[in-house]
Amino acid sequence: MPEAGAAGAPLMTVIAVISFLACLALAGFFFVRQAAQQWTSDLSGSITVQIVGDSPSVIDRDIAAAENVLRATSGVEEVRVYSLEQRRKLLEPWLGKGRVSDSLPVPGIIAVEVSPALRKDLSGLQMDLANRAPGARLDDHGVWNDSLSASAQTGQILAFGIFLLIMVAACAVIIYAARAGLAANKEIIDVLHLVGASDEFIAAEVQRRFFVLGLRGALMGLSLAIIVLLLSGWALQGLEPSGYFLPAIRNNSATMVWLLMVPLLICTVAAVSAKQTVMRSLSGRW
Amino acid sequence: MVIAQSHKQRSVLVNFENVGLSYDGVSETLRDVNMVIRDGDFRFLTGPSGAGKTSLMRMIYLAQKPSSGRLTLFGENINQLPRDQLPLMRRRIGVVFQEFRLLEHLTAFENIALPMRVQGVNQNEYAQDVTELLTWVGLGDRVNALPETLSGGEKQRVALARALVSKPDLILADEPTGNVDPIMGERIMRLLVELNRLGTAVIVATHDLTLVRRMKKNILRLKDGRLSLHGPLKDISPATRAEASSRAAGDERSALGA
Ligand SMILES: Nc1ncnc2c1ncn2[C@@H]1O[C@H](COP(=O)(O)OP(=O)(O)OP(=O)(O)O)[C@@H](O)[C@H]1O
Ligand SMILES: [Mg+2]
Repeated sequence: MPEAGAAGAPLMTVIAVISFLACLALAGFFFVRQAAQQWTSDLSGSITVQIVGDSPSVIDRDIAAAENVLRATSGVEEVRVYSLEQRRKLLEPWLGKGRVSDSLPVPGIIAVEVSPALRKDLSGLQMDLANRAPGARLDDHGVWNDSLSASAQTGQILAFGIFLLIMVAACAVIIYAARAGLAANKEIIDVLHLVGASDEFIAAEVQRRFFVLGLRGALMGLSLAIIVLLLSGWALQGLEPSGYFLPAIRNNSATMVWLLMVPLLICTVAAVSAKQTVMRSLSGRW
Repeated sequence: MVIAQSHKQRSVLVNFENVGLSYDGVSETLRDVNMVIRDGDFRFLTGPSGAGKTSLMRMIYLAQKPSSGRLTLFGENINQLPRDQLPLMRRRIGVVFQEFRLLEHLTAFENIALPMRVQGVNQNEYAQDVTELLTWVGLGDRVNALPETLSGGEKQRVALARALVSKPDLILADEPTGNVDPIMGERIMRLLVELNRLGTAVIVATHDLTLVRRMKKNILRLKDGRLSLHGPLKDISPATRAEASSRAAGDERSALGA
């Protein structure tokens, strides 16, 4: 019953902004999570064996020995030995084209895909390699992995924390607006009481109003957020051809579904906090 | 003259026992008020401006707690009433407020329908009653008018219709004829008398002594914060009475289309 009043339009704008920010925070959360998942999963099954030695012949011998060890180890799924050609190519950027002499001991590289079980415990493999191919060094990308997942976790916590803070702000704004609305509509509420309205009736009227207002504002914010996300996804895609950095925006309907929940959450928050506020402040009257 | 009445079988709706009211805790607006309103009673409430007529009514329609004494409404001591019982009690009382207190954002129809709506009654159950009431108060063509577009007297009639729509057991009318011309005033009074004849208890606060004289009803008089009950006032002169009643009868006939 209490009318939309002057507070209607500004409040809706505030809710739209809150919803926009909440959508961005949530999209950020999913973006970081998915990017981290993608990166770490790409790395986590891979290890590299490097073979160093004083002369090409020693290196070649150790490469063969290491390959044998790897192929004999259970849990090793793929072994890819880099040829001398390939290894030279890898060095070219540092040494210059055609400058890699035949006598230079170019380190050997073997890329290995391992099962998750083996990935967890590489010590056996490490020992075998040390025994049979002394020049082999095993690199499990662990440093990369650890720092990636640590920073991804921090990013996720941060994004979700921001999302929660924005929701708290939404609650506070609604409570404030509901209180102000009650004060501004005091005469209406008095009359409603005097003609026999219960607190529940009045609270339900206020709740309905805030639900509609919350829904409209939140949908506006969501639309804006989707536009911004699509635009920035499109812009970054131009910069980074592989499109590797925006997994959350590109072809990800799960994130979109979660974003659609934001307006629902916001208008529920609006309705519930408005109702609680009204019931609490009316119960203080006679 | 304090009168005694025989009302053995009629139930007590309102019972004031030594009720006092002080807004500021210092000066007493009302003190030691004792009064009983029974089913079917009709009372005028008179007294000079500021005597406390509205204050007395505010206590009955549960807008103001008494500062002292005991007020019983429909058999319940209102000081012991839990908050969730107040709406049920208020729904049994129809009030015409002195300042009307219509909701500005609602049409005349919606204002009158309000007491039904807050009870959760379906619109198609009350729509006809509301329309008939609007027609009766002479506003059949202003169904969708907002209060700000109505004159004082028109607002008063909407307020009256709102007080009647839920068929209350007790009607409190605070200066219900204050803003209307004598003809409409007379019609409003006739309606209240008719509702009273059908069993509704009515209390009318008014300054209009001519009206009070004409209606021949018992009078509650407020003076210096105290209330006393009196019998009907005597007419000023037989001529005035004859003129008044013939005019009233004529109005009534034309108003009802008879
Ligand atoms: N809400 C209030 N707060 C404080 N004082 C009030 C309040 N309402 C009324 N009063 C005071 O109580 C006294 C009685 O006021 P009330 O309105 O009951 O008189 P009344 O008989 O209805 O007068 P009128 O005939 O002018 O309508 C007045 O002195 C008024 O100033
Ligand atoms: Mg008054």
